[in-house]
Amino acid sequence: MTATVRKSIPHMVMIAYIVVILAPFLFILFSSFKANNTEIATHPFGLPKKWVFENYKEAWVKAKINVYFFNSLYLALSSAVVGVLLAAATSFAITRMRFNRISSWVYQFVLIGMLIPGNVLFIAQYLLVQKLGILDTHWSLFLPYTAGALPFSVLLIAAFMRSIPHELEEAAVVDGMSVFRMFFQIVLPLTVPALVTVFIVNFLGNWNEYLLSFFFISKDALRTLPSGMVQFRDAFQTNYALVCTGIVFSVLPVLVMYTFLQRKIIEGLTAGSVKG
Amino acid sequence: MKTTLRNPYVYLLFVLPTIALYFLFFIYPMLTSVYYGFTNWNGLDTKDFVGFDNFVNAFKDADFRNSIVNNLYILLFSCCVQVPLIVVFSLLISSVKRFQGFYKTTVFMPSILSTSVIGILWGYIYDPDVGLINSILQAFGLEPIYFLADMKWALVSILITNAWQWMGFYIVLILAAILAIPKDIDEAAMIDGATGVQRAWYLTVPLIKPIINVVIMLSIAGALRVVDIVLVMTGGGPAGATDVMASYMVNKAIKYGDYGYGTALSIIIFAFALVLTALYQILIVRRQEKVEY
Repeated sequence: MTATVRKSIPHMVMIAYIVVILAPFLFILFSSFKANNTEIATHPFGLPKKWVFENYKEAWVKAKINVYFFNSLYLALSSAVVGVLLAAATSFAITRMRFNRISSWVYQFVLIGMLIPGNVLFIAQYLLVQKLGILDTHWSLFLPYTAGALPFSVLLIAAFMRSIPHELEEAAVVDGMSVFRMFFQIVLPLTVPALVTVFIVNFLGNWNEYLLSFFFISKDALRTLPSGMVQFRDAFQTNYALVCTGIVFSVLPVLVMYTFLQRKIIEGLTAGSVKG
Repeated sequence: MKTTLRNPYVYLLFVLPTIALYFLFFIYPMLTSVYYGFTNWNGLDTKDFVGFDNFVNAFKDADFRNSIVNNLYILLFSCCVQVPLIVVFSLLISSVKRFQGFYKTTVFMPSILSTSVIGILWGYIYDPDVGLINSILQAFGLEPIYFLADMKWALVSILITNAWQWMGFYIVLILAAILAIPKDIDEAAMIDGATGVQRAWYLTVPLIKPIINVVIMLSIAGALRVVDIVLVMTGGGPAGATDVMASYMVNKAIKYGDYGYGTALSIIIFAFALVLTALYQILIVRRQEKVEY
């Protein structure tokens, strides 16, 4: 075996794997532009004979993908932002303020949450939001999403804040700065890398969440993409091109985000699993 | 001097919202789960305390036992098939210089997507009429396979989709560990004449054992957490062939309103997760450390 052949074996195996990863996406993308089911069935790999863009308009407006899309966007954004701010405030209090004994209790208490698998709490959370009277409103997703992200967020942000030197805020205290200004003007700007990581992880988690959004929301106008897409598939089962268009709509924003922030995303998601 | 950082009201203001929200959506549901698990509540009648009946019934329930078995299949598949493949792929990626970044980001990509959308996507790949796989089979003159409706194929189909989604995530974890190994160890072995395969098997794999253990633990936890993909692709069918513990629990609670029984099942799932990871820690991880030192 020559050296070149031996060297190219890893590449050949990896390219085969990459093809397995990418083929489904290409199949969906091409199908979304095809005119009808027969064209999909007879030329699964081929480019569409005529690029049909009407599918996109139809899915976006008539099939209400736009409604799901904006619901997802605003829920994922708002609960990620609120979660990051709450976790940052708590991390600041437990790492920088002088209440060490209580702080270590608070920290341990919040971290217990990382041991509990999400779907174990599903029924109890369902009954809870029912009791709170917020079932079938966006609150029933916003609150669990925000709460669910807290343990991981506190873990990561607190670890980052601990590494900020204490001299900084001592100087600030001597200069008579208030706690709030210290938090917002000194500590928070220094923590931005951790905040961004946590924000991305939370945003992706919320954007992709299915179980709660499917069972806590029954009004179609309030559904998010993952649950709305399932609804959409069941309604348009036989119109393959249209459903493929829906898939493109829900996958594309994440992929665009991924191309720009891949390092941050990989770092954040893997940090969450290893440290947990 | 430090009164600013000792103000208890500010401390409360910063900590209380988090604690309140966390308590309400984590601790309180956990406590009520334990309570409901011992009652026969169905959402309508009164809650009666029934002791361990729900737990005993769960293990007498043939459908639930069947879903436990399916979870075990998923667990075995991820530990015995996926993990070795993951290690091999990570070694391959680490061995190349060109395209390393491209391979890494591409294999990771499916794990950032929504499981429900991936379920829909693969539903089309498996579709008997227009699906990708059946188009290929037909090109070879074979009969179409009803992957998701056939008892023999449904679980395998879900296993493949699940592996497709998550393998890249673990590959990146292991790859990071491999790339963190100091280069001189590998170079010394190379000078001694060890081949690439020898170096990978006798040097790299022993050095990354701790992270492989982490991946196995995550796979065990992940196998017990599988639910979205089943609900989206098959709903547990055909005839329970793909039902897992969590999907069975969700259906019991939401479709039939058996909240008491459902929460008992969720506690069993939690117990399984704790026991299996603890067992793995005690039996495998501890013993390995003894060998190494």
